[in-house]
Amino acid sequence: MVSQSPTGLRGSIVGEETMLTIVELCRACQASELEVELWIVEGVLQPAEGSTREQWRFGAVALRRTRAAARLMRDLQINAAGVALALDLIERIDGLESRLHRIGTTDE
Amino acid sequence: MKYKDYYETLGVARTATQDDIKGAYRKLARKFHPDVSKVADAEARFKDINEANEVLKDPEKRAAYDQVGSGYRAGQDFQPPPNWDGFASRGGAGAGGASPFGNGGAGFDSSDFFESLFGGRGRAGAPRRRGPVPGDDHHAKVSIDLEDSYRGAERGITMRMPAAGGAAQDRTLDVHIPKGIRAGQSLRLAGQGAPGSGGGQAGDLYLEVEFKPHPRFRVDGSDVYLDLPVAPWEAALGATVEAATPDGPVQLSVPKGSTAGRKLRLKGRGLPGKTPGDLYAVLAIALPAADGDSAREAYEAMAKSFAGYDPRARPAG
Repeated sequence: MVSQSPTGLRGSIVGEETMLTIVELCRACQASELEVELWIVEGVLQPAEGSTREQWRFGAVALRRTRAAARLMRDLQINAAGVALALDLIERIDGLESRLHRIGTTDE
Repeated sequence: MKYKDYYETLGVARTATQDDIKGAYRKLARKFHPDVSKVADAEARFKDINEANEVLKDPEKRAAYDQVGSGYRAGQDFQPPPNWDGFASRGGAGAGGASPFGNGGAGFDSSDFFESLFGGRGRAGAPRRRGPVPGDDHHAKVSIDLEDSYRGAERGITMRMPAAGGAAQDRTLDVHIPKGIRAGQSLRLAGQGAPGSGGGQAGDLYLEVEFKPHPRFRVDGSDVYLDLPVAPWEAALGATVEAATPDGPVQLSVPKGSTAGRKLRLKGRGLPGKTPGDLYAVLAIALPAADGDSAREAYEAMAKSFAGYDPRARPAG
């Protein structure tokens, strides 16, 4: 199976071939710019590039975390600090689980 | 259409107080939230829980649900009573306004059953605006094989998308999976989200990539791990062995004196990319069975040669 000439839709890899502005990030995650700024302050996410709001560019991790933050906040009524804590814990569990998986002792 | 028992979904009695319902909902919502839960059907469970809460938390809707639903059991065929003209019209929503129970705040994707009772009109949620309104961005997950990332691939992806009018419909797209994509990364497909209205731009589609579990390879970021069984003499004396990698077989040199768990690194043979990952072969010592005369003799000879060897002795220091 050598790679055939691509016929399907071509996307761009977020964080590598394309970076998101705060407007694009907000649209993608159904979050407001105010919320995103608040989450940046709380350490939920950080821009990969840029020092001012207009220059901020976000990558794959920010996209994933912002989406999760928006959903957790909306669905579970968690405030920004709670969202930051929940995401850090979820990430830690994911890390531990993939480590378990890597050493081959997971029962999944 | 099947009747849904919202009380059963939340695990509360029909006589539960509003506080009971709130508590039960919160607990289940935390447990089955798709960002938190690892349960396979978490997303569907979460939708059900939200829908049940949407009805039961609101005394008016709860009363209406109790009224039409008495006598039904979960899973029974259900038809709304003939005189049921939709709950929204009784709720006093202004003509042309969005249904107060539509897809507004909670953003949940409601069932046909819910729609037959409380839906009806204006599921769009957002108040109508004049002028061009861009379409929403959509998100979907796509499971690919590890090999797809090594070589690039074409994949047909079927998604359930909300369509105009509230029903969900399947949509299939052929998508090029670029070489080097990693789990957790997203592909952005411009203009493949929801169509805009009033001449507004279509939204984008984000496809988040995950790898299907592989029987032999494990992935960590851009590094790939595989278990490489070796014979005791290969580990002890050193050998060149063949290892199957996602990129095809490679010759690996096992240094003499290797022990189980030793990692042999093949630089740059992990997932491809600007900074390609590494491939790690983790050695496992495989023992041949002592099931024949010569095999047994070989083990006995070994035992004699290593008479002083204690595998349980702690290393000095």
